[in-house]
Amino acid sequence: MPIAHEYEYLKPTSVAEAVDILSRFENNVRCLAGGTDLIVHLKENVVRPAAVVDIKAIPELSGIKMQGNELRIGALVTFSEIIHSAEIKKHFPVLVEAAETVASVGVRNRATLVGNICSAVPSLDAAPVLLIYDAQVVVRGKNGERSISIHDWFTGPKKTSKAADELVTHVIVNKPLEKHAAAYVKLGRYRGEDLAQAGVAVMLTDNKNYRIATCALGPIAKRAPKVEAALNSHTPSKKTFEDAAKFILSEISPITDIRASKEYREHMAVVMTRRALEAAMARLLGKTVDVASILGG
Amino acid sequence: MTSKKQDELKYVGKSVSRIDEMDKVSGAARYADDLEFGPNLLFAEIVESTQAHALIKSIDTSAAEKEEGVVRVFTGKDFPGLRFGLYMQDRYVFAQNRVRFVGEQVAAVVARCPKAAKRAAALVKVEYEPLPAVLNQMNALNSDCNLVHEKLGEYSHVPWFFPKAGTNIAHWRKVRKGDISNAFQEADFILEDTYNVPRYAHCAIEPHVATALFDHAGRITVWASSQSPYTQRHLFAECLAPLGITHKDVRVIAPYVGGGFGGKAGVTMEILAVVLATKLKGMPVKVRWSREQEFYNTYQRLGVVAKVKMGVKSDGTIVALDHKIHWDAGAYVEYGANVVNAAGLSASGPYNIPHISIDSMCIYTNLPPGGAYRGFGYSECLFGIESHIDRIARHLKIDPVEMRRKNAIRTGDILPYGSHMNPSGLVECIDKVAAEIEWGKKEMSKDPTKFIGKGFALFWKAPAMPPNASSSAFLKFNEDASMNILVSAMEIGQGFLTAMAQIAAEVLQVPPHKIRVETPDTDRNPYEWQTVASHITWGTGNAVRRAALDAKQQILEQVARVHHYLADDMYLDNEMVKCKQEPAFALPLKNFVITGLAMEDGTYRGGPIIGRGTFMPEFSSALSDPETSQGGHPNVHYTVGAAALTLEVDKETGKMRVLKAVEALDAGKVINPDMAKGQLVGGLLQGLATVLYEDMRYNESGKLLNPNFTDYKIPTCKDVPLEIVPILVEVPQPDGPFGARGIGEHTMLPAAPMIANAVHDAVGVRIVSMPVTAEKVALAILQSEANHTARGAHS
Repeated sequence: MPIAHEYEYLKPTSVAEAVDILSRFENNVRCLAGGTDLIVHLKENVVRPAAVVDIKAIPELSGIKMQGNELRIGALVTFSEIIHSAEIKKHFPVLVEAAETVASVGVRNRATLVGNICSAVPSLDAAPVLLIYDAQVVVRGKNGERSISIHDWFTGPKKTSKAADELVTHVIVNKPLEKHAAAYVKLGRYRGEDLAQAGVAVMLTDNKNYRIATCALGPIAKRAPKVEAALNSHTPSKKTFEDAAKFILSEISPITDIRASKEYREHMAVVMTRRALEAAMARLLGKTVDVASILGG
Repeated sequence: MTSKKQDELKYVGKSVSRIDEMDKVSGAARYADDLEFGPNLLFAEIVESTQAHALIKSIDTSAAEKEEGVVRVFTGKDFPGLRFGLYMQDRYVFAQNRVRFVGEQVAAVVARCPKAAKRAAALVKVEYEPLPAVLNQMNALNSDCNLVHEKLGEYSHVPWFFPKAGTNIAHWRKVRKGDISNAFQEADFILEDTYNVPRYAHCAIEPHVATALFDHAGRITVWASSQSPYTQRHLFAECLAPLGITHKDVRVIAPYVGGGFGGKAGVTMEILAVVLATKLKGMPVKVRWSREQEFYNTYQRLGVVAKVKMGVKSDGTIVALDHKIHWDAGAYVEYGANVVNAAGLSASGPYNIPHISIDSMCIYTNLPPGGAYRGFGYSECLFGIESHIDRIARHLKIDPVEMRRKNAIRTGDILPYGSHMNPSGLVECIDKVAAEIEWGKKEMSKDPTKFIGKGFALFWKAPAMPPNASSSAFLKFNEDASMNILVSAMEIGQGFLTAMAQIAAEVLQVPPHKIRVETPDTDRNPYEWQTVASHITWGTGNAVRRAALDAKQQILEQVARVHHYLADDMYLDNEMVKCKQEPAFALPLKNFVITGLAMEDGTYRGGPIIGRGTFMPEFSSALSDPETSQGGHPNVHYTVGAAALTLEVDKETGKMRVLKAVEALDAGKVINPDMAKGQLVGGLLQGLATVLYEDMRYNESGKLLNPNFTDYKIPTCKDVPLEIVPILVEVPQPDGPFGARGIGEHTMLPAAPMIANAVHDAVGVRIVSMPVTAEKVALAILQSEANHTARGAHS
């Protein structure tokens, strides 16, 4: 299918230049990194920007860096790069786990994590994991750089707190200091690539701290503090998990759409929270868990 | 003497590697979209209806015409009254003053590049006056429902259709056998229920593409991704007859096809390229469907609401079946009505039932046209029948497999429409599958949330063809005794070209890899009806076998003229003619199949060997009593089979995993075991996808919500069952080439009911509407637990 829409194509080589272009075109401009959403949307005339800014020639945006406990993921880093990064695998295995559930190999070879969070669709797989790590999104605009907490990033379906003239340069993720384990459980219609019908990420630490986050269970991906409160300082057990998981229902507001009904999403949110906690617990005890099989099918 | 035994086959029944393998793996194979047409090539973009049912008040093309690069803009007014159709001519080339489904072609922009065409198409303004749309076949039967086709009574159609003018019933196939009115009184147990099957899409990886050229001499050539080059030629010629175009002026060239599954049978979008080209002499016009259009404007598998009432004796003997099948056939039924017809004739399933009433109704709706899809209506009917058998057996506390074996149709039994069942290995299939799946052995999961169940299903299907559907073949030798076979059936992935080479190789004792079989050009290759109905191994195979026998006879006669052996004493072996009486005689074919045989005086005898073969099932007849279907012989034969699977179900999530699947079918004679097994695995996967996740979803305005692979799921390699065991049974088909009959479609038929039956076996819930998704299973379990708790509270 041809792209019939005509637009200006610009390829800056620095962040400053890119920001300048973004502010010049105001809201009528799109950034191109992996292009796995943008090109499809251009073909289908879903978006009709006056300009497309190709950011792939900006060196500063690429690369994965681990410094101390801090992980920096550049705006051009693809899901495949995340999956194949030895450092991420070692320090943030659940990030790899979530990345592996995104689309298919071909798409992951181009699609970026930053592009994923900029799309801000309710089903994005990158979000729950970034939420449990309290990630920071670093953006740069005309007025310089600022850091936005991932908890403030999503403001609505397909909406973020980034200003139109701001460019995301990277995401920062910090490794918790205490011993911890995590899991990302995704519900899809089959084993092949799918958008999440629901997604739940959990983390638990040695000193009984819990973090829970969801996607595709409401207008935005978010943490579930009521579940966390029900769990925090409790010794992990099947019973604790079962009781606490029910609180997820007061944290989510799923809808019925083509991928699943509200009823099934609610039912599964409880099951997934419980099973994700059990998986993370098993990992904390050093056991291996295959999350792809955790829901059956 | 080294002559082989008469009954020993050298090439047929062997897993010969594909003769088109280098074409496919090297990328040399060319598909319709790969062909180059030079700088005059024009591109058409179609303007589609946004309404499910509406009158077209006006179409304003002025802005589109001004767009740079646009050559012309066409609407229905440019093609007044132009209709087409395979079995019933009810389909408009361009909507006239009314649209009948969302996506129907209303106008076309032809431009010098695809971008200009797309830009201009967005500028065409169509004003509609909406009419009430009917989106459900049951509503379409209401007497006060709007008519989708007011002129139904005027449409021409094949003699075996019975449209009801003044209603939305485009065809009503009635089958009556025995005495249904009293039969249910004989029954000890009667089960009645309704089964729902949604619409499905073929999802061939290659979308439809057609390019047509109307040259200055007045002939039209079409290059299309097609299962039916000759049928397309005929329909194009019929449609263009008012322009003075005859069959000899129409030529269809069909290159390799990237998947068909019935979607590229008959004529759909190809007609657009053809009619547009007639207005643009000398310039090829290309129409290429997007993935979205592929979903909503080709054919879809018809939706079904089936009411099944079955009466049985307490020993499991089926005495009566009343099967009412309501087909959502869409806005145009020119092909889909024959799905309704064919499935209706066989809606008993593969069972010998004395008293049968079947009503198979083809119902117009304002959804996209229904048409051919692998299985041709049988999957849809078997979902109900095979679920029903399982439920009845469990109610009677009879083993479901035993009940199937007891009632299974056998060779010579009377079919629902009165003729006799062909030779059948159905019982052998049942027994082999039951043994392989270890039927009766309960398996337990170590995981307390997971339950394992087994499901069984039988299936059958006959080719759905007009009684005179024919095949033909030319076979010509080359100087080195290699040969070219010219046929017009299509290689659509199934391995047809190789199978034909094997059949000719066997007759002529020349290795298959010395035989070239290619995709057709209707100017050069002889007639073939269509590559549908799983009939070409049988039908075209017979034609090729006859062409090879014809060539063989010419070879032996030629040698007899010169060497004076009796033709009956000679035989072919290892690319040579040999003689039973004269062991020393061995004449290589290459010495004479083109050049002829030299005589002592320097003259030659014989000349190029060219075989011809045709095949038509002359015993077939579609004429029968319209009220009972008795009296004809509408089906040439059935291919039968049995299948089972072991399914693991997570009781909380509803998620299912096929641990093992076994399928056996009676191929009569397997031409190529590896290819047959490959097709069995592929077909089974396609079937499992239709039951586990595929589902076309429409909104209340008749718009398809998932014309994409984001929300219409087809299986990936991750979704393949952990183990698949293909079993091929061989009870020969007497009129098949080497005893062969078709298996292509059949492979997917048992999937849906065996999943539903396995789910019930595993977790005790019965799903009667496809697809049987994880969500549906989980919610059904929750519901059943809630009912159980409620009952507990009351007691």
